[in-house]
Amino acid sequence: MKLKNCMKKTNQRKKRNWYLTAGLFMTGLILFLAILGVFWTPYDTTAMSAGEKFAAPSFRHLFGTDNFGRDIFSRVMQGIGTTAFISSLVVLCAGGAGICIGAVTGYFGGFLDEAIMRITDAVNGFPSILLTLVIVSVLGGGIRNLILSLSIVFMPSFIRIVRSEFIKFRDADYIVRARLMGTGTVRILFIHILPNIFSTFLVSVTIGLNNAILAESGMSYLGIGVQPPTASLGKMLSDAQGYLTSAPWYALAPGLTIVWIVLGFSLLSEGIRSRAQ
Amino acid sequence: MVRIENLSVAFDGTEVVKNVSFQIADGEILGVVGESGSGKSVTALTLMGLLSDAAELTGGQIRYDDTVLAEAGKKRDRELLRSFLGSKMSMVFQEPMTSLNPTVKVGKQAEEMLRLHTTLPPKERMTRVLEMFALVGLQDAQKVYGSYPHQLSGGMRQRVMIAMAVILRPGLLIADEPTTALDVTVQNQIIALLKEISIKQKNAMLFITHDLNLAKRLCHRIVVMKDGRVVEQGETEQIFQCPKEEYTKKLIWSVPSRVKKKETAVFSEAKRQQDGETGQEAPVLEVRHLDVFYREGSNSLFSGHKKRCVVEDASFEIKKGEVLGLVGESGCGKSSLSKAILGMNKEVKGEILHRTERPQMIFQDPYSSLNPSKTIGWLLQEPLRAAGRLDKKVQMSAEDRRAAAYEMLKKIGLKESYFDRKPAELSGGQRQRVSIGQALITHPGFLIADEPVSALDVTIQAQIMELLQSLQEEMKLSCLFISHDINVIYRMSDRVLVMKEGRIIESGGTEEVFRQPKEAYTKLLLECG
Amino acid sequence: MKYIGKKVITLIMTLFLVSVAAFIAFQVIPGDVVTSILGTEATPEREAQLREELGLDRPAPERYLNWVSGVLSGDLGVSYRYSKSMNEMMPVAELIADKLPVTLYLAAYSLILIIVISIPLGVFWARCKNPAPNVLLNILSQGAMAVPSFFLGILITYLFGIVFHCFTPGGYVSYRDDLSGFFGYLLFPAISIAIPKIAMTARFLRNSMLLELSSDYVRTARSKGCTNRRVMYRHVLRNAFMPVITFLGMIIAETIAGSIVIEQVFGLPGVGRLLISSISTRDFPVVEILVLYITAVVIVVYCLVDILYRMIDPRISDK
Repeated sequence: MKLKNCMKKTNQRKKRNWYLTAGLFMTGLILFLAILGVFWTPYDTTAMSAGEKFAAPSFRHLFGTDNFGRDIFSRVMQGIGTTAFISSLVVLCAGGAGICIGAVTGYFGGFLDEAIMRITDAVNGFPSILLTLVIVSVLGGGIRNLILSLSIVFMPSFIRIVRSEFIKFRDADYIVRARLMGTGTVRILFIHILPNIFSTFLVSVTIGLNNAILAESGMSYLGIGVQPPTASLGKMLSDAQGYLTSAPWYALAPGLTIVWIVLGFSLLSEGIRSRAQ
Repeated sequence: MVRIENLSVAFDGTEVVKNVSFQIADGEILGVVGESGSGKSVTALTLMGLLSDAAELTGGQIRYDDTVLAEAGKKRDRELLRSFLGSKMSMVFQEPMTSLNPTVKVGKQAEEMLRLHTTLPPKERMTRVLEMFALVGLQDAQKVYGSYPHQLSGGMRQRVMIAMAVILRPGLLIADEPTTALDVTVQNQIIALLKEISIKQKNAMLFITHDLNLAKRLCHRIVVMKDGRVVEQGETEQIFQCPKEEYTKKLIWSVPSRVKKKETAVFSEAKRQQDGETGQEAPVLEVRHLDVFYREGSNSLFSGHKKRCVVEDASFEIKKGEVLGLVGESGCGKSSLSKAILGMNKEVKGEILHRTERPQMIFQDPYSSLNPSKTIGWLLQEPLRAAGRLDKKVQMSAEDRRAAAYEMLKKIGLKESYFDRKPAELSGGQRQRVSIGQALITHPGFLIADEPVSALDVTIQAQIMELLQSLQEEMKLSCLFISHDINVIYRMSDRVLVMKEGRIIESGGTEEVFRQPKEAYTKLLLECG
Repeated sequence: MKYIGKKVITLIMTLFLVSVAAFIAFQVIPGDVVTSILGTEATPEREAQLREELGLDRPAPERYLNWVSGVLSGDLGVSYRYSKSMNEMMPVAELIADKLPVTLYLAAYSLILIIVISIPLGVFWARCKNPAPNVLLNILSQGAMAVPSFFLGILITYLFGIVFHCFTPGGYVSYRDDLSGFFGYLLFPAISIAIPKIAMTARFLRNSMLLELSSDYVRTARSKGCTNRRVMYRHVLRNAFMPVITFLGMIIAETIAGSIVIEQVFGLPGVGRLLISSISTRDFPVVEILVLYITAVVIVVYCLVDILYRMIDPRISDK
């Protein structure tokens, strides 16, 4: 009976790591492809070849070819790169600003905090697609504006998370004691409190990456995000939609890639969360 | 009536209850006493069949009269168990705050007991509940019936729990630390109620507690548990008068009681005079006519701030090397007072005069007083670093700091190997030691200790009090020692302040106040404690 | 009651702020629209005339007041891009009128699907102790949440439209012509919106229930001799549902927004498609009104959710 219990225990431990391992593997592969895609792709992503239109997936063309005879795998690689570039910049901007604003408002509270919370509440409650659409339509399209608007849209959620963590720790006994010792505010914020919110923040970063990827590909799908000739997964999907009957793989390749990325990051965040507990 | 034979319970393969046997006779009040982790609650929950699926009965059996309720290796008969629960045995839990469903009226919750086990019509069920509410001392039973749990005080909620538990006149009532979360005066009422009910309804009671004093007052027989085993059991008198086992003796000895005099205090008084320190020198802290306010309502833009006075007209002083005890029940304003003294609450009126720099503080909860992301060594050095940054004169080299931290580690009774560990690897008592070390490493003249031992087991409590006392004397530290436990105050302090509803109602030398209390409230506290 | 009054005042204030924000975003920031309508080769006279026609020569606060009073009285302004005939501009109201129901039906349809499926699913999931269905549901929900709705729409189009021939992709039937045909076609876009949200809601409900199950009052209920069923439905569900209400408010907002994308996938002539095309052509009066409409719906939904929450939870309604 004891043996059975021990087995159960090891199983549980394995299961807990499974999320992290799977997540790391999936996101790692994507990252590898994205970086590789910058330097090398199996085919030139813009090279058209009239003779190889709609070639089905094969060893020659892993994911087949599209309506111009371009290699889909190469274009997916490049699309991953674009998506990775945009979403990581978005998370960097939104997360960085979120840490600074959230730390200050959460720790000090008061009127500024109140005002910022009202704004973030309003933005957060709002469907992110709509807000991005509004900002992009005002600012105009293009990668730079897309990054800017997505950063604005995602910043509030980071602010909220960081803020609530700082509020949680602001009144923790050990922070009160650090204040009594005469520790400076900056040191309390960044040396005493920040390391404690690391794992929570990491989780929100992975979730943020996911949302950014979904938003970017959604925008590109709608034709308001990344503009051709830059390859992007969302744009490929909308192009492929017209050829669903003749070349379903054209839509499946970028679509499943998005699913793969998003799933990878969800598993990663789940893994980090259970590891932190 | 109930027999527990060789009971062993395991969670995930680790046994937490080992070979426990005892029995409860009809109408008997049996106390199960032990520190946290002794397996006393698990035993009770096993009896009630309330443990999660992760728990496994690995040995022994439980019998209720002639029925076998549980047996090792056999699947529990859930139907049988359910027919026993509530009607033949029921339970009162520790947390009155969370033990009732927050979104169901308490009357309905009590009524559910009748609905489950009787066929009474709804009207009669309600009258029975109202009768029972009146019986457990709930005034205006009708109003209580229609209240939600959050509208009742802790004591009232516990009365509701008791009413619910005994409404079907079960033969056995299990009370798992039913008064631990309550104030001492309320605690006393609840204990009296439990006793009264067990006499009236002739039910047996299994009373689980960590508090030996309570067990002594209430129980006929006592079972002492430690680490999942029964250490000793016997009549209450016998256990207290001639304990056989070493652990029982230690347990009894650790309980702070008023019988033992605080010799050290007298000693230090004498020593102080020997050293030529007259009591004349200026006090370390003077508080004059202090009012402390608390901002009510959320920090919202729209609702105006209302101030509520939580401490009214407090005046006292603390001399050098003196321990001033501050005793009072929860919500009496003792923590607000300490916050105001340390300047953490600026909403004050009156005068606070410090003659020491940077007073330090120790808190109740050992689990939140140390930064979990740092090592013990880092934590002990941090006050020195902070002091160095503020004042170049006391700046220390990294080596000196390390040395000082190691020295403090020794002083607080921890091995050197703890230097590189993180708080999560330490027990509650050890953490509290580190807290003390961290507070005292800069040699502050004044320390506020806010319930520093309340979250600890009695044996650990005794050790921490001893450590605090010896360091206090060694460093000639002035200390404001706050506690709800009048016995702890007695043991630690030279002088005492008694606080009630924001006012200091009595003050004086410890002996004086304890021997001849002037106020009725102080007397009540002394009786209950 | 006092609370509801307060809530309505806040609601009106928020709507006012949103309208100001929308006005600034679409009429002040983008700059001169006249050149963008007429092109760079128009005569100055023609430009001035159009400017007067559109009221652009007035100061911003006055333009705002005109715009708002117009919106309140049903005059939503004119489109820059669409025109009725050569010299008559297209009123935005007419442009939107027959598109609005499509989007509303779609959102309502998906919402019903979400609620009807996710709640029983979440309860079942929380009750389910066997590892096999648990793991299966876990994997399925993770997968469903990872699929972006537009890809899901494409997958459904491929599977049900092309492989199984359940509907004709692109063969939209107007609700004016054939209501049952309309709903038959709408089912598939509704499913595409609903699936990820069902996964999220079911997961959320399940986690909320598991959290409640570990609370002390559940132990109390068990100690009274309640059956597992009774514990679940009488004690846990109500408490577990409180946070789900707030969550559902968010889901409703997301569903409305989600229909914007899905309309594009299935070629539905709703406001979402109009919004996207208006954004691409920088037809700001249309975008502005649509954003205002959608925002108003979202804000009202949140307000209703708040009121509902207060009515259900005795702990809040008391304060």
